[in-house]
Amino acid sequence: MRKFLRRNWPAYTFLTPWFIGFFLLALGPILASLYFSFTNYDVINPPRWAGLENYEFMFTVDDRFMTSLRVTFAFVFLSVPAKLVFALVVAMVLDKGIRGISIYRALFYLPSILGGSVAVAVLWHQLFDFHGVINSFLGLFGIEGQYWLSDPQYSLYTIVLLAVWQFGSPMLIFLAGLRAIPQELYEAAEIDAAGKVRQFFSITIPLLAPVIFFNLVLQTIDAFKAFTQAFIISSGDGRPLDSLLFMTLYLYQEAFTYFRMGYASALAWVLLIIIAIFTGIAFWTSKYWVHYESERG
Amino acid sequence: MAGVSLREVVKRYGNVEAIHGIDLEVIDGEFLVLVGPSGCGKSTLLRMVAGLEEITDGTISIGDRVVNDVPASQRNLSMVFQSYALYPHMSVRRNLAFGLTNLKMPKPEIERRVAEAAKILQIGDLMERKPRQLSGGQKQRVAIGRAIVREPQLFLFDEPLSNLDAELRVQMRVELAGLYNRLGTTMIYVTHDQVEAMTMASRIAVLSAGNLEQLGTPVELYERPQNTFVATFIGSPKMNMISGAADKGGITIPDFGTLEVPGSVPNGAISVGVRPEQFCVGAGGDVSTKAKITLVEYLGSEAFVHVVLSSGAKLMVKASSHAAHKVGDELVLGINKAEAHYFGPDGLRLGYFDDDR
Amino acid sequence: MTDLAAPTTADQVREVAAQLRAQRQRQQRNAALLKHAFLILCTLIMLYPLIWLVLASFKPDNQIFNQALSLWPEEFKWQNYPEGWNGLAVSFTRFFGNSLFITILAVIGNVLSSSFAAYAFARLEFNGKNIFFAMMMMTLMIPYHVVLIPQYILFLNMGWVNSFLPLIVPKFLASDAFFVFLMVQFFRQLPRELDEAAMIDGCSPFKIYWAIIMPLSLPAVATASIFTFIWTWDDFLGPLVYLNNIDNYTAPLALRMFTSQDSVSEYGQMFAMSVLSILPIVLFFVVFQKFIIRGIAMSGLK
Repeated sequence: MRKFLRRNWPAYTFLTPWFIGFFLLALGPILASLYFSFTNYDVINPPRWAGLENYEFMFTVDDRFMTSLRVTFAFVFLSVPAKLVFALVVAMVLDKGIRGISIYRALFYLPSILGGSVAVAVLWHQLFDFHGVINSFLGLFGIEGQYWLSDPQYSLYTIVLLAVWQFGSPMLIFLAGLRAIPQELYEAAEIDAAGKVRQFFSITIPLLAPVIFFNLVLQTIDAFKAFTQAFIISSGDGRPLDSLLFMTLYLYQEAFTYFRMGYASALAWVLLIIIAIFTGIAFWTSKYWVHYESERG
Repeated sequence: MAGVSLREVVKRYGNVEAIHGIDLEVIDGEFLVLVGPSGCGKSTLLRMVAGLEEITDGTISIGDRVVNDVPASQRNLSMVFQSYALYPHMSVRRNLAFGLTNLKMPKPEIERRVAEAAKILQIGDLMERKPRQLSGGQKQRVAIGRAIVREPQLFLFDEPLSNLDAELRVQMRVELAGLYNRLGTTMIYVTHDQVEAMTMASRIAVLSAGNLEQLGTPVELYERPQNTFVATFIGSPKMNMISGAADKGGITIPDFGTLEVPGSVPNGAISVGVRPEQFCVGAGGDVSTKAKITLVEYLGSEAFVHVVLSSGAKLMVKASSHAAHKVGDELVLGINKAEAHYFGPDGLRLGYFDDDR
Repeated sequence: MTDLAAPTTADQVREVAAQLRAQRQRQQRNAALLKHAFLILCTLIMLYPLIWLVLASFKPDNQIFNQALSLWPEEFKWQNYPEGWNGLAVSFTRFFGNSLFITILAVIGNVLSSSFAAYAFARLEFNGKNIFFAMMMMTLMIPYHVVLIPQYILFLNMGWVNSFLPLIVPKFLASDAFFVFLMVQFFRQLPRELDEAAMIDGCSPFKIYWAIIMPLSLPAVATASIFTFIWTWDDFLGPLVYLNNIDNYTAPLALRMFTSQDSVSEYGQMFAMSVLSILPIVLFFVVFQKFIIRGIAMSGLK
């Protein structure tokens, strides 16, 4: 025992804050949250065991839940591919060594760094207002302005646009990945009679695959967790007509507006499982299309 | 198959001129080696022929065609890179077939060519491996294979053996020479190693700091170097350069004496070049001197003896390994004036006895 | 592609060469122009919202919407700023002060606790090292929303709700595995011989941490500080849940108050305060650009 302590005590001392944090703020809450999801809990009274009631309700009766699923998935499937495509295209244009690349790079990245802020969400709200700049601009081309924010048909697109606007972050990562591809491979391919398009598909994409994978996973997880923008633009409740009811928003409402902690916990777990499934699928399919240079066969 | 014509080729990077107007004719079917120290521009020149670098000025023609603005993919040539540049995510087979697939060749033809290249280079059992699973020598062979399947009119090699260890390098040299004998295609080969140049080339182009110093067969370069650069670059160990001066009907060099030469001697510093194997050890030579041995490098088949003269000049002599030379011994060295090489103050060759060689 | 026959005389060579060179230069210039035009267009479109925001913050309200396309204000209504500052029940001095207070403490706490943990993982040997490291990395995958509710209950029972504590204390407990990972990667690059030399000189692990590892880790500390600053300053959900009293609001919450009524009347002031609330981040970005960009690229390529 003494030897155990003597060997470990410096490390354990350094790890004390993390230990506390891990058990108190991570492990504990996860288990508690799982437990809550099987209860009805309104904070004032202690949790009442409810078995699978919450989950049953969620999947069979709760229309709002289905809506939130639809909204969230639509957001993920619209914004993530668009974001990645923009990021890759711009990264490729910048990769060819242009003067002033660092300025462009910084400017494209700026929206990313401001993206999660309330200020930007507020700004967006005003830009897409019926009397806002976007409609004025469209008016110049004779296109009729729409009620972007109050028409349930269009409201989600404003948030998708906001997300895609922030392509700077994956763009930086793509840039770094593109830089890592040796120029010689392109030269050899050129001599091998490969045109630019062929070079892109035969060399750039396969060798960029690990980076694409990383960006895909990261952006997808982030997209599922989106909250602030939806909250601000929908004034907190997913309006109009729940068209902006992201799962995170729904969760927040159930927990902190209606104090249905049990149900909210169940929602949180469903979100967690969805994220885990997507991540799992990504990892599993990566076997087939991601090639890692560093593997020793 | 095609010859290559370089006319007044210039390469500039911004304000810096790296290659100063080179004229070079590569004969159809020859093995031309571009050799020179680092930074002399040989790789740049090769890459301009390949189409990977832009030609700032002048023209390059392959066959009868000016190719300045023809992209690399359309020049019908192959290139072997120093670091192989194999596609890391493709198998050896796909690496070999890549170029042919791009040219939309029919599959049976592709398979035939790939199989044949694999046979020539003995990489048949590596076909399904990925490049990271190959050794350096194997990778090099695949790179060469990738070049031959295209059956191009011109092969370019950019220091292909530099990344291999010494033993492998010797082996690959022989194989490449065999390949050339077999295919007979025009080959332009870049190296900094003059041994590779001498052993493999039909002709050698010696480059230095963006200039073509001399173009000729290995024999020509060895026996009649046109300037001091080529004289000291070609031949290992290096030629000894002794400084001398004009003196009544000849050239006087310290310690040895005066060498009578037919023809006028320019004013200024004259360099007399004597290769280590050209010294007469013991008696002999038109002029001679005594030298003290400072170091003996014994190689088995021969010995390199380093000596110092009374004037302090240091020379290297190739001697028989059987004579027991020791450090501190005295040696008599002689020079045959008809065998020595003479260079004027501008470094250019003075061809005094050239007609008799 | 010109199919020119090989020139023979020197003059021909020069002529052909000059011709081809001029052609090529022209092509290159056009391509470069096109590229720059594309990039500049993209940049303008990207930055337009921000430019509009800043300029709108100087406009009187009636000009913001009716003449939405004329970017430049006809008159500069500077008063938007002081009016906006005091536009809510509580002055923005308080709000920015709260934000600053929380953020600075968060930075300090995060850097300390993350570097402690990272030092242990990177430099010390102990039982359970691998398991703990794996556990820590797994917390990266947990979305905040799953632990939010139990954490809230916990803080509620501890009486910490409606104070800054739930926002600050977790930072001192290395709650963000991302920064621990960042520091571990960095520490691993420092040569072990330094530690060994110090040990021979009689330093305890604590001394090694404080006097040797940390001073050499300023880039990692800087990166961690910058990101922590930005993320904490911008944090919305945390303050939303835990700060109920308007006196405790942080800048993002205050900003939201401007918009929470359906009919907002003071747009100019709202924009002015928006500009101010993102100004620190922009400043940080401009000054520490290199760190930020390198940090992102590093995390992507591991």
